[in-house]
Amino acid sequence: MKKKWQPTLIRTGIRIPLILWTLAVLYPIIWMFIGSFKSNAEIYANPWGLPETFNVQNFADAWNNYNIDTSVFNSAIVTVLGMVLTLVLALPTAYALERLRFRGSSILFTVYVSAMMIPMVLGWIPLFFLLMDFGLLDSIIGLSIVYAISQLPFSIFVLTSFMGTIPKELEESASMDGMSPYGILFKIIAPLSTTAIITVSIMNAIQFWNEYFMALIFLNSREKYTLGLAIDFIGSEAQYTNAWGTLFASLTIAIIPVIVLYAIFQKRIAKGMTEGAIKG
Amino acid sequence: MVQSKKQKNLFLAFCLVPTFILFAIFTLYPLFSGLYYSFFDWSGSSSNSEFIGLDNYKRLLSDNIIPMTIWHDYFLVITKVFGIMILAIFFAVALTQLKIKEAPFYRVVFFFPNIMSVVVIGILWTFIYNPSLGLVNSGLEFLGLESWTRPWLGDQDWALPSLVLPSVWAGIGLFMLLLIGGISNVSKSYYEAAEIDGANQWQQFWKITLPLVWPQIKISILYIVITTLNGSFIIVQIMTGGGPNNSTHVMGSYLYQQAFVQYNFGYGATIGVMILILSLLTVLILQFFMKREKVQY
Repeated sequence: MKKKWQPTLIRTGIRIPLILWTLAVLYPIIWMFIGSFKSNAEIYANPWGLPETFNVQNFADAWNNYNIDTSVFNSAIVTVLGMVLTLVLALPTAYALERLRFRGSSILFTVYVSAMMIPMVLGWIPLFFLLMDFGLLDSIIGLSIVYAISQLPFSIFVLTSFMGTIPKELEESASMDGMSPYGILFKIIAPLSTTAIITVSIMNAIQFWNEYFMALIFLNSREKYTLGLAIDFIGSEAQYTNAWGTLFASLTIAIIPVIVLYAIFQKRIAKGMTEGAIKG
Repeated sequence: MVQSKKQKNLFLAFCLVPTFILFAIFTLYPLFSGLYYSFFDWSGSSSNSEFIGLDNYKRLLSDNIIPMTIWHDYFLVITKVFGIMILAIFFAVALTQLKIKEAPFYRVVFFFPNIMSVVVIGILWTFIYNPSLGLVNSGLEFLGLESWTRPWLGDQDWALPSLVLPSVWAGIGLFMLLLIGGISNVSKSYYEAAEIDGANQWQQFWKITLPLVWPQIKISILYIVITTLNGSFIIVQIMTGGGPNNSTHVMGSYLYQQAFVQYNFGYGATIGVMILILSLLTVLILQFFMKREKVQY
């Protein structure tokens, strides 16, 4: 008899912390959304509640007066360029490391993968001067290249482990039929790796869209700012100008693409991230 | 088979060389020259440098901010490991073992902060801690705990602990998913056998679940330690900038201040070498202590 109701009781009890954590996660985000529609007076008078009217003035201010439009554009360019470049570089390398046995292949793989564990902050100082010498400092292109290389280890890691699951017979028979290795890579392996390519690309895109610190170091001028820098700038301005509503609006602008991506690719993102974490 | 050796090598080069050259230029070279920079008094422009041997290292040893930053880093490591792991294990077990219908909903929600930008998380939480408008203080007032309110990030004693919460908030989902993955690989028959032997849920957790997901727990702890030592300065930079009165400076934010604010690039690189050495040592020591025979039943 005891057995019957005990699990139900535990299940009900366990729901309390689960619901509390759901609130802890969602409430600040919802609060930020609501705040972006509030006037400053409303934020001060009633930090927890709803605004009287849903006013889009904050979004207009952020977009026009705080150059969020330029930053959204810059972030979009860095994200797309970085994503494409990472893929172009990682795909052939991953294929060669996974399928073509050559002397030093495992050493090379180790070099790439261990770069994931090294604190890159040490390298950022020389990288700053290197970019300066190349004329790539304070440049969106320069930042895209740095971003792309920074995600190479992760991308190579995920792509090689996926390619390991593609049956070898396909390549062998294509090779018998006289297909060149380039053909095999681009016409057989790449299309078969679409799942992994999409996963890696989404992960990289989120990473590049969200990145803050390298942008802080490598970009100077306001018109080059990515979204992270622009928000941080508004955030420190808000200490003096009290432009809290504008700040909330720009946070909302930054987070909407991430929410949309997450809504569409939720399973894939979770899988990609846990695969990336297993490297340790 | 059909192709000659030369063609094969050409293809290999096509696959590997461009990527490796860029990786060498933008990752390997900077890392190694970071070590090299640490022996120079290197300020302002790259032409303006002087070899000073171990002077930067001597300075490092006598700089009394350094021990503080190291302590702050390890404070964050320890509190984050415990905060994240206890909650992640609890949620992972609750969502797998207890047949909760809406478990997929919790999974999706709890994971979401993991893909939010550090800037958004940092600024959002700065606002949550805001003395006059923030959720924390107005929540405490609502509960009648006015005496507990304080300017969290502006208070020397509370600023650093206040940085732990956003990191735990943002980090739990990933480790919960890793553990859920581990738990779902544990064969159901162990639990059935335990059930027959009369073991309760609590005993099953300690005797079956925990030992069998030890590999995932180990990876998660290492991952939290590495990412904290290598990256906690980002949230510090956004939320407090190392203040008030250096009470939240971690190694990385101090490096940023020395190198990119005060233009002591050589000394910054020396701090970078210290971060590198400390994180590698920590990982080695942790791996030694967490070595535990893989459990098999």
